[in-house]
Amino acid sequence: MKATINVRVNGEDRQVEIDTRMIVAEMLRERLRLTGVHIGCATGNCGACTVFLDGRTVKSCCVLAADVDGAEITTVEALGSGPDDLHPIQESFVQNQGLQCGFCTPGMILAAKALLEANPDPTEDEIRHGISGNLCRCTGYHFIVQSIQDAARRLNGGGGQTAAS
Amino acid sequence: MISNEIEFHAPATLGEALGLLADDGDDVTVLSGGMSLVPMMNLGIVRPTKVLSLNKVRELAHVTERDGQLVVGALVRHAEVAANPLIRRHCPVLASAAEVIGDIQVRNRGTIGGSVAHADPAADYLPVLAALGGSVTLASSAGERTLTPAEFFVDLMFTSREPEEIVTAVSVPKLAAGWRSAYTRLARVEGSFAIVNAAAVVAGDHSSATVGLGGVGPSPVVVDVTEQLRDGADEAALAAVGAVVREAARDASGDLMSDATYRREMAAVFARRACAAATATQAEVRS
Repeated sequence: MKATINVRVNGEDRQVEIDTRMIVAEMLRERLRLTGVHIGCATGNCGACTVFLDGRTVKSCCVLAADVDGAEITTVEALGSGPDDLHPIQESFVQNQGLQCGFCTPGMILAAKALLEANPDPTEDEIRHGISGNLCRCTGYHFIVQSIQDAARRLNGGGGQTAAS
Repeated sequence: MISNEIEFHAPATLGEALGLLADDGDDVTVLSGGMSLVPMMNLGIVRPTKVLSLNKVRELAHVTERDGQLVVGALVRHAEVAANPLIRRHCPVLASAAEVIGDIQVRNRGTIGGSVAHADPAADYLPVLAALGGSVTLASSAGERTLTPAEFFVDLMFTSREPEEIVTAVSVPKLAAGWRSAYTRLARVEGSFAIVNAAAVVAGDHSSATVGLGGVGPSPVVVDVTEQLRDGADEAALAAVGAVVREAARDASGDLMSDATYRREMAAVFARRACAAATATQAEVRS
């Protein structure tokens, strides 16, 4: 069934025509063209569809679009506008090769953002725990963890690590 | 996209929600966090035609104290159960279970009411509620009733909730000073469902000791281990706990994750660990 919802997405109030069969990830991708929201499994396992919903990370494949009327959503698109305007976490992922195929990356970056907001100087264990809801099927976890460690340094004003050669 | 048409309702009050169920209960599927329901809808395993979301029913989103109990509203999300100061102070074992459910994103959205109503036999709350002697409150437009875990959890993913009812709260006792508790689980990796899980709740003077078990049958199993722990929790006492738990888990069945024998053995191991952790001093309830 058709429905209209009001939702604040990346700081902008939007009125969105949805179908009640849509999940939030589909609404964001297909109605708002926010294709940084990736759908990996649609069962809440992989975390590629992670977004902030009212300030907390959720898996947007497990929330019905009709159920976010009045809510506020932040996707990876809110972090940086392009290659010349990257968020420090994105910059760290680039510089540390924190991605291989890149499919899990938007979810990893938002999980990292939530982690670093709550814990600006996490240990390696805390980082691994912080991304435990996100799967990288390239299994590139080592560089993802390094990227988040580097992001913490950047966000804490310590300067970034230059690209490893 | 989910294939079947869905009529979606998100009332702002419990009264409105109960009214909808009174008119149409048999056809309505109640949604809260959706961490199990929405994936099942995505996969086409369940095909609800009418969905009633509780996510705007804010009156169900509070933790309150009443008559020596903590009343946790059905819409309280796992992350809040894990962090709530009242729960951490008076019933820390419930917080311990909440903080290992699924993963961070799941805990941010999933709710205690949804978890108990779904009644997955491996769910983290179930053995904890069983060990604590907690209760589940259901409401319908005709009134309210409160059930013990044994009354509520009937079978595998099957509860005594009637179609016109909503789970409105889960209540747990405020543990008195000196009571100790612990929650343990066996899972292959962080975030996966428990194969078996066990909670232990022990009085400070060991005059009462209870183990709740999950994963060893269609609904949680309660084992009174007062006799085994009466004189303390040394190796012999913990071995006795293991023996009585192994017997209590005799109806465990096998599945893809493990066979029945393994589940029984692991129930004994994790019940022993829960009892050992609960009787260690740092697990003492601070009240």
